[in-house]
Amino acid sequence: MTDNQSPHKAIEVGDGAAIPHKSDSGLFTAWRIAFFGAIALCLFLAFGRSDQYMAIFKFVPDGILVTFKVTLGSILLAIVVGLIAGLGRISTNRFINGLASLYVEVIRGIPLLVQLFYIYYALGRFVKIPDMVSAIIAMAVCYGAYMGEIFRAGIQSIPKGQMEAALSLGMSRGQAMRQVILPQAFKVVLPPIGNEFIALLKDSSLVSILAVSDLLRRGREYASETFSYFETYTVIALIYLVMTLFFSKLIGIMEERLNDGR
Amino acid sequence: MKFFRTLTATVTLVAALSVTAFAAPKSIKVATDATWPPMEMVDANKKIVGYDIDFMNAVAKEAGVTVEFKNTAWDGIFAGLDSGQYDAIISSVTITKERQAKYDFTEPYTSIGQILVVPKTDKTSKVIANLKGKKVGAQIGTTGAFEIKKVAGVELKTYDEIGLAFEDMAAGRISGVVCDEPVAAHFALQKKEYRDKFKVVGKSFTKEAYGIVVKKGNTELVALLNKGIKAVKAKKLDVKIHSKWVK
Amino acid sequence: MTADNRPMIEVSGVCKYFGSFQALDDISFSVRDGEKVVIIGPSGSGKSTILRSINRLETIDRGKIIVDGMDVSNPKVDICKVREEVGMVFQSFNLFPHKTVLENLTLAQIVVRKRDRQEAEKIAMELLHKVGIAEKAAAYPAKLSGGQQQRVAIARSLAMNPKAILFDEPTSALDPEMIGEVLDVMKTLAREGMTMVVVTHEMGFAREVADRVIFMDHGRIVEEGTPEHFFTNPTHERAKLFLSQIL
Repeated sequence: MTDNQSPHKAIEVGDGAAIPHKSDSGLFTAWRIAFFGAIALCLFLAFGRSDQYMAIFKFVPDGILVTFKVTLGSILLAIVVGLIAGLGRISTNRFINGLASLYVEVIRGIPLLVQLFYIYYALGRFVKIPDMVSAIIAMAVCYGAYMGEIFRAGIQSIPKGQMEAALSLGMSRGQAMRQVILPQAFKVVLPPIGNEFIALLKDSSLVSILAVSDLLRRGREYASETFSYFETYTVIALIYLVMTLFFSKLIGIMEERLNDGR
Repeated sequence: MKFFRTLTATVTLVAALSVTAFAAPKSIKVATDATWPPMEMVDANKKIVGYDIDFMNAVAKEAGVTVEFKNTAWDGIFAGLDSGQYDAIISSVTITKERQAKYDFTEPYTSIGQILVVPKTDKTSKVIANLKGKKVGAQIGTTGAFEIKKVAGVELKTYDEIGLAFEDMAAGRISGVVCDEPVAAHFALQKKEYRDKFKVVGKSFTKEAYGIVVKKGNTELVALLNKGIKAVKAKKLDVKIHSKWVK
Repeated sequence: MTADNRPMIEVSGVCKYFGSFQALDDISFSVRDGEKVVIIGPSGSGKSTILRSINRLETIDRGKIIVDGMDVSNPKVDICKVREEVGMVFQSFNLFPHKTVLENLTLAQIVVRKRDRQEAEKIAMELLHKVGIAEKAAAYPAKLSGGQQQRVAIARSLAMNPKAILFDEPTSALDPEMIGEVLDVMKTLAREGMTMVVVTHEMGFAREVADRVIFMDHGRIVEEGTPEHFFTNPTHERAKLFLSQIL
């Protein structure tokens, strides 16, 4: 009947991991098997016959913390960058619009690994910032471009009448954006941002090439000293799996809460 | 048809394997991580060159085989030997007890030691222990990294390539780099981007020897390579190679 | 000139193109303070476009629009000031779905009019009483019927104390049984002396409330006059045809 009553269109951007919802029973079951299976396997390996696995589990925890910090820092910064990029992309100012589009196009055209090297070492040339901060900035610059497209799509999914109604009440475009459009758009972009979070969690393993002591790098250090490649990477893969499954579940729950909200 | 092809392939493969098993290998594949100048590196013509490369070629010539080099990332270089992607590694590999437990080495072919490089602005540090509370870098899985780890209170940062460690020190993210003496000299004394920024401090503080690595139990190849090394040393070819690369 | 005899809205010689399609062709009319003007015409005749041009939701290509002494067609004029004084009610209501009914009414009061929350809420509640849905103040728009939503939208517009309100087909999206409740609210406003420009297909409303009827076709004003004249004795063939189809 009216366009502001209809549920917002779901937007499909990117793909980090499948978010398990109760409605998708197949995926839900798969999630349970994978998650609890991975945890059980971790426990079995750690407390099993060989001490080797326990030693790996003892070696990597600070790497998990670093991976987590990098992921969280990057996603928060990427949301800020993405919001600016997204607003720039829908700006009527040709210069701002051009700049934002250029950023998105350039970033999306360069492999993440290359960008990480480039930003990390380029930043190092000009400013003195710690490695972890550099890595977070690099990841945020990369993900900000994708995030910008999510925000753009999210904002554009809000019916045009909303902006018109706000403007006709005497609000400026900025006020209308802040008070009316963005609060609605955030609800629309939350699922894809959750997706990006999972994708970023996995891609954060790439920062190990920047000598940031994340989970993967800790694993590589351990393996390169003990030559137990198979055992080490089994553990590393399991830990990543548990983490991504845990967070995809958490995001699924958050989304359901949000939809029940109103 | 398909069965026939599979059968033919299998027969050929078995034949090929038995030939290599019984006859002395005519050509061997050798892995090297060519990011370790001047020992092994890639030159402007994209050719792998360096001390180890010249040495290996000399050894092979004396042993009557040819060598094919494979540029391989350091932290997977032993795993590649395990899975049979190449026959040997010559990549400034220090002979250690831990490595000897899993792999076989030839006779040592040269001796080096670990040494510390710091920025020129650092006027006080002479040994790793002077850098307590700071970050010190090394290539992942190298004896340099192991040495830093031994010093309590110093944070070890590992890099895929030693060059990245020096670049990170130039960016001010780490306070020191530990590596093999010839490599340290190459970066801190010869490279023009770095020679004004870095200095080598103190003396090398370990006594290490490089060996060529082969898969455990491959005694034939060890014997062959040892024969070559002996001949090279007898002809003093190693001294010539050393003076060519290490300044 | 004094405020009394100056028109509230003055449209003169307005043309607008969508690409090569001419949506408005030399439109001129004026609306005095307190006057109710109803614009009718077949769909695509440009009646919504001219209405939306009055508060610059559409920009015009030629001509001039003056609202309360402010030149809407001049890009340098702060359009927000014009929009503060001229309310608008849309066919699709356009309530803010993430805000309660009360918040829908208070938002612009607080953000634009800079009233404090208490005052804004007091005004909002009074208006909700007036349109007969005070009990829904805490509800979200999605829980309201179409008629209720449109009454909230009218109240939202009134909360800004506008000097005039533009209605863009306010009942066209409503189920028939809800049209009456919205028209009743509009009739009350008319009686209270609000300046109104209404685009509608509700001929009964036009007849009862309008001081003047403007009939548009193909982007032009074809006929303009009192409802009595228009509905009983229109001059132009096009208007006669339209009336015969609609009545």
